[in-house]
Amino acid sequence: MQILEIIWTFFKIGIVSFGGGWSIVGIIRNEVVPRWVDEQGFLSLIAIAQSTPGPIALNAATMIGWEHGGFFSALAATISVVIFPVIAILAASYLARFLKLRAVALNESLKTGSIAMMLMALWALKPTSGDPLLLAMALGAFAVAAFTKVNALWAILGSGALNAIAGPAIRALLGIGG
Amino acid sequence: MKPTKRETKREANTTEAKPKLFELFTLLARINAVTLGGGYVIVPVMAASLEKKGWMGESEFYDIFAKAQAFPGPLALNTALLVSMKLFGPKGIPAAFLGVVLPPFLALILVSGLIQRYGSLPAFKRFLDGAGAVVPGLIAAMIWKNAAKRSWNLPRIIETAVLALLLILLPASSLPLLLLAIVVFYCIEGLCRSWK
Repeated sequence: MQILEIIWTFFKIGIVSFGGGWSIVGIIRNEVVPRWVDEQGFLSLIAIAQSTPGPIALNAATMIGWEHGGFFSALAATISVVIFPVIAILAASYLARFLKLRAVALNESLKTGSIAMMLMALWALKPTSGDPLLLAMALGAFAVAAFTKVNALWAILGSGALNAIAGPAIRALLGIGG
Repeated sequence: MKPTKRETKREANTTEAKPKLFELFTLLARINAVTLGGGYVIVPVMAASLEKKGWMGESEFYDIFAKAQAFPGPLALNTALLVSMKLFGPKGIPAAFLGVVLPPFLALILVSGLIQRYGSLPAFKRFLDGAGAVVPGLIAAMIWKNAAKRSWNLPRIIETAVLALLLILLPASSLPLLLLAIVVFYCIEGLCRSWK
C-alpha cells in the first residue's frame, strides 16, 4: 500500500534529518524523485516548503503526502518524519544518566555531516534546464542569500513572481526559448 | 503540595512567571503560524517570546538550542520540545509538538489544495518554475555560509569531502552511510582531542 510506503520513507528521512533544513533536502530528493514527483516538481515543492511557515522537511512531507492520497497521507507523512526525533529527545532525557556523549565532539561531527549533506543536495539539484533566465535567478538567489541578510524567502517569491509576470516578455526580448 | 527540591530549583532558574501548558501551545502555534524561513528564523523569535513571558532567560534558552542541534529533526521542533521538557517535563511534549506541527500542517494543506486546483494555469506554473529555480542557489549559499564559519582542520576537510563523494556516488545507501559517518566522525573528533 502506498500510504505504508510513504510512512516508511519519511520515517527513515526523520532518522537522519540533521543540520536544520537545507541539509536534508538532498536525502528527501533521493527518496522521492522520480517515485512521487519529477525533478522540476521537486524544486517547486522545496521552494514552497521554504516559503511557507514551518520546518522544510515537515512541509515537504505534508505536500508529498497530500499529492499521493490526500489528507490522511499528508497527516501520516508529517507524523512519520518527526516521530523518530520526538522519541530520540524523550529517550535522551532518560538515558542521559547512563550514556555520556561528549557534546562538543558530537556537534562537530554533525556539522561536518551536514555540510557534506548539503554538497550532495547541491549536486543532486544542480540546474539542468539550460534556461538562461532560470539560471540567472539561481545565481541571483545565491548572491542575495550568501552576501546579504535578506530573508531567502524574498528570493523565492521574487523570482517566482518575475517569471510568472515577465518571464515570456523577457525571453522574447532576449530571443531565448523557455 | 510541598514543592520538591527540584521544583524549587526550577523556579529559581526562571524569573518569576509560572508557565502554563496551554499558553505554551498557543505561544508556539502563533510563532509557527506566521514565521517564514525555517528554523534559524523561528528560533530567535522563540527566544524573545519566552524571555518576554518571563519563562526562560535567553542564555538558558540558547543552551537548550545548542543541545537541540545534536538531535535529528527540524530545529524549531527540537528546540520547542526540549524547552517544554525543561518547563513541564514529559507532559510538555504534546503541547510543543502540536504547537510547532499543527499550524504549518494546516497551511500546507491549504497551499497544496491551491496548487492542485490552479497548478495547471500557465502563469501559476511559471511562478512555481521561477520559485524552484532559486533552490540550488540557496543551497549553494547555505554551503558558503556554513563553510565560512566552520572551524576547519585537515580531518574535517577530508571527512566532508569523502562523505559528500560517497553520498553522491551511492544515493541508495545514503541513510546507512550517514549514520556510519556520524559515528566515525565522532570517534575521530575524540582521537584528535586526545592527541592535543
